[in-house]
Amino acid sequence: MDEEVKQNFWQKMTKGEKILAIVLAVGFLFVFYIALDANKYQATVHVIAGEGKVGVNPTTERLDFGDLSPGTSAIRRVDIENGTTISMYVAIVNFGSINDLMTINKSSFTLSPGKKDVIEFTVYMPASAPIDATLTGRVFIFKIPGPWR
Amino acid sequence: MRKFLKFILNIVIYAAIVGAIVYGLPYYLTKKLGTNYPIAAITSGSMWPVLHIGDLVLIQKIAKEDIKVGDIIVWQNAKGLPAGRQGFTIHRVTKLSEKTLVTKGDGNFTADEPVRYEDVLGRTLMRGKDPLRIPYMGYISVWAALLRTN
Repeated sequence: MDEEVKQNFWQKMTKGEKILAIVLAVGFLFVFYIALDANKYQATVHVIAGEGKVGVNPTTERLDFGDLSPGTSAIRRVDIENGTTISMYVAIVNFGSINDLMTINKSSFTLSPGKKDVIEFTVYMPASAPIDATLTGRVFIFKIPGPWR
Repeated sequence: MRKFLKFILNIVIYAAIVGAIVYGLPYYLTKKLGTNYPIAAITSGSMWPVLHIGDLVLIQKIAKEDIKVGDIIVWQNAKGLPAGRQGFTIHRVTKLSEKTLVTKGDGNFTADEPVRYEDVLGRTLMRGKDPLRIPYMGYISVWAALLRTN
């Protein structure tokens, strides 16, 4: 019965609607793959009192900028390598309360097959940073196949 | 023929709505707030966390005698810009004197150079203790500034 309904649904669609449905399905799978394949990092920094005090936590799973006092900054780097045979368009997107304090050396670039690159994230603690606050965020590094690039 | 006229009428209505928003709103705000620069976008983090990059703030005209220490003001800053280009700074007033005032970004460690009162364009419109800000709406200006510098 269910199969009959499905068949009727597909058969009732016009040729244009079928093409549109296939294009949408392929587009959805493409976006789903890119979202799934993205490197996802949690970014965090803790504000401490004092002058020129920095305490970095050397974790690799997170973009942990450690403890920073106002006026200091910390840099974390992410190595990225294109191990495929096609060019990749790399786009970096960040969210969260840490966003206003974090600068990224490049927000998007193209990575050729077999090439490596480094993305540098810098957090600078301004004078107005609330002491003892922890600012967090998420960083997504999307790798979009772009053989035409 | 009727369908065509209806189509044209729809286009005219949409164009009128867009025109009213793009031209009418700044015109209305200019009259209402008494300044030629009623809207400003935040393009740097110097006033964080009160103002964020990409915020849009409204500016109202302010008389010299009404400016107080602690106000967030907008002043014309031509320093470092090519001739003919206008730059604006939105910082907090830290000191008042007879001919000039001093401002500083909340996130900065040093104060700005003294500003003449005639360079002050206005004060940010407040909502309670904090400036009225519209998040993300200023990103158009931020991107435009980035394109100009690139």
